[in-house]
Amino acid sequence: MSEFEFLRNVTVGQYLPTNSPVHRLDPRTKLLLALLVVLAATSTTSPLATLLLLGVLGGVTGVAQLDARYVLRGLLPVAPFLLFLMVMQLLFQGRFSLCSTVWYEWHFVRVTPCLLELVLLGALRLLLFLFVLSLLTLTTTAAYLLHGIEQLLGPLQRIGLPVHEFALANIIALRFVPTIAEELERVAKAQVSRGGEFGGEPWYRPDRVARARLPLLVPLFVNTLRRAEELVVAMQARSYLGAQGRSRFVELRLRPADWGALLLGGALLLLVWRLA
Amino acid sequence: MPPILRVENLHHTYSRQGPPVQALRGVDLTVEAGEYVALLGHNGSGKSTLARHLNALLLPDQGNVWVRQWNTRDPAHLRAIRSTVGMVFQHPDNQIVATIVEEEVAFGPENLGLDRSEIRRRVDEALAQVAMQPFRHRAPHLLSGGQKQRVCIAGVLAMQPQVLLLDEATAMLDPQGRRDLLALVARLHREQGVTVIAVTHFMQEAIDADRVVVLHEGRVALQGPPRWLFQQPEALRALQLDLPPASELAQALHRRFPAFPADRLTPEEVAIAVQTYRPLQPAPQSLPPLLPPPPRPPPLLELQHVAHFYMRGTPLEIQALSDVSLAVHPGEIVGVLGATGSGKSTAIQHCNGLLRAHAGRVRVLGQDLSDPKVDLRAVRRAVGLVFQLPETQLFEQYVGDDVAYGPRTLGLAHAQVRRRVQAAMAAVGLPFATFKDRVTWTLSGGEMRRAAIAGVLALEPQVLVLDEPTAGLDPQARQLLLRQLLDLQAQGCTLVLVSHNMDELASLCHRLAVIAEGRTALTGSPAEVFAQPALLRAFGLELPAMAQISEQLHSKELLPPTAAFYTLTQAEATISQLLAGPGKEPG
Repeated sequence: MSEFEFLRNVTVGQYLPTNSPVHRLDPRTKLLLALLVVLAATSTTSPLATLLLLGVLGGVTGVAQLDARYVLRGLLPVAPFLLFLMVMQLLFQGRFSLCSTVWYEWHFVRVTPCLLELVLLGALRLLLFLFVLSLLTLTTTAAYLLHGIEQLLGPLQRIGLPVHEFALANIIALRFVPTIAEELERVAKAQVSRGGEFGGEPWYRPDRVARARLPLLVPLFVNTLRRAEELVVAMQARSYLGAQGRSRFVELRLRPADWGALLLGGALLLLVWRLA
Repeated sequence: MPPILRVENLHHTYSRQGPPVQALRGVDLTVEAGEYVALLGHNGSGKSTLARHLNALLLPDQGNVWVRQWNTRDPAHLRAIRSTVGMVFQHPDNQIVATIVEEEVAFGPENLGLDRSEIRRRVDEALAQVAMQPFRHRAPHLLSGGQKQRVCIAGVLAMQPQVLLLDEATAMLDPQGRRDLLALVARLHREQGVTVIAVTHFMQEAIDADRVVVLHEGRVALQGPPRWLFQQPEALRALQLDLPPASELAQALHRRFPAFPADRLTPEEVAIAVQTYRPLQPAPQSLPPLLPPPPRPPPLLELQHVAHFYMRGTPLEIQALSDVSLAVHPGEIVGVLGATGSGKSTAIQHCNGLLRAHAGRVRVLGQDLSDPKVDLRAVRRAVGLVFQLPETQLFEQYVGDDVAYGPRTLGLAHAQVRRRVQAAMAAVGLPFATFKDRVTWTLSGGEMRRAAIAGVLALEPQVLVLDEPTAGLDPQARQLLLRQLLDLQAQGCTLVLVSHNMDELASLCHRLAVIAEGRTALTGSPAEVFAQPALLRAFGLELPAMAQISEQLHSKELLPPTAAFYTLTQAEATISQLLAGPGKEPG
């Protein structure tokens, strides 16, 4: 792969289209379900219930026709942090454990069944949150997530929160990511062609790194600001005058499948509460 | 019927930053519904400012602008005005809002507060009009420039405007993209009675208009139907504009043969005028043979069967080049042609080792770039690469500093840096003394482009590779830049020009290479390449205007295939032989 190519084809929130029933759900449904699962996980202290939730997410992965290994590989980068967290908890949390049975004690380290449960639960929860998040982005395009958020938070617009502006600004940001990445690539290449170096400064000289990056950032900033200015004019030319009086083209409709999924989610939450 | 647009004594001064600039100083203009008006003028003549007044993006300092019965000063009619006058800008990348094509087209109707079923109907209709339905669920950044611009037009059409205002909308497109866009606009004008106002630098585009309006120093300097207007070459040159190539030929022939009509505008018209001219010399059967090409020293730069993949080794792998070969000999000007997406930009990035060939080899100054011992920095000094829109890559505050970036990075002594910067700036016509302390972003578009080229010249390259050097420049800046490139070549610099402008390549290049679908599809002298019109058109390219005339004369059997021409001088000489009439030997 070329040294410049990492700048190309930037994907934000990896989306894998398989056109499964999960993909076809309304983004609002998926956002609410994700919230339900997170709520369920945080409101239970039972590792069994947490495992059950993980199992359900595994099932969803299957229904979404995603390769479980692919999803898990996305979680791999957090494994060291997870491990570190578990070790720290194991070492320092024991003293506050309420259990009377003690399996092992050495100075301040105290291992009890409750502690083990706590450590396991913490790790499972973290895994679960990441799993939910990646399922959400793998099955929903960022644009649709934003449309979903915009409509879910729509009522807040009435009390003056700029929900529409927030959603539009984010959509525009998404739209410009590949454009600006391409631009960065071109500026970097142009500079190398003029005898500049791309990379290769020693890491212990941040001043030199900054000095070398400056020629890259100046045109990028200038061009991005110029683009922004042109975009504003283009939007005005198309009668954009803010959220007021504006209608919406993208139609989000809750279908029977969405209601079914939400009911299942609710049932799951109740089941988890019963288990606790 | 009242006029659809009325501009009265319009003044506009920009005073937001720096000294005030008087962009418009009393423009009067009326456009009737259903008219097609071309707006010409050099950079800074005020034509974009005027365009922005026509849909209330700017408001007059003095004077008035009416759209139908609405004064643009009245904010109550803002939505009505902007949906009546739909505007398409130069850079499609900077006017697309959404991440999906159909949502992009829906943006305007959404702003008008239409209900969903109506928006859907309009989106369908608009996408059908620009023939982009198959792409409705695509992300815009995956489309070509021409396709993006068609999406932008659809976005405007979905608002059902009565006026289509194009602000240099074709400037960045390849010949095919431009042809398609102009055909689309002409069809909307003809079939749906849409009023068209086209701001452009391309004189050929003004030919389609009912009326051409030329702005100069913030005033309307000249206006009239294109056939009349292009008969005023002196007046146009004084306004820093030029003639469409076919028109220039017609007038040159008219000067020699007063009976030859001077008002022909297109290659077709000139060919017909030649055919109907009496008395007409019968087709010359033999012409002096073409001179054999001079023996050439070994190439400075050579691509041999180069292939390149993007995202190599991933599921997203794309083959950008499959088999590109190109040889550049010392002292030559080589033109590289190809439609957008043909791989020509990828190909030239192999010339200085920015990209590595995945198959085949690249040789620069006799060195094989795949050899790890080759010093790439030395290669990059020898082969200067100027990217598209190089002025967008300037990063220093002062012109002199920016040009000095290369020599400074080489670690040259101060005096040497100074000498190189002086020489480079002189070579592009920016005198060192006057320009070294100018702030880069106060330069005009053409000056910025030349400053950026000087930045590469300061490395004293043996080969200069330029990607679309004249794109987006006005006629005068374009002429000036081309003259300077020829001077450079005369001083011994070898040039590789990548361009969409066939007329430019025809008049400058010794040899041409056509790249299509990632391979070298055609190479040879301009005469050889332009002798393949069908092939060129299949690749999304076009013949230069003169070669089009030559082609038409062949098909009318007025010229033997051996007498093909492609530059203005050749055309004038060859057609003069035909027009000289019997009794006179062609000489």
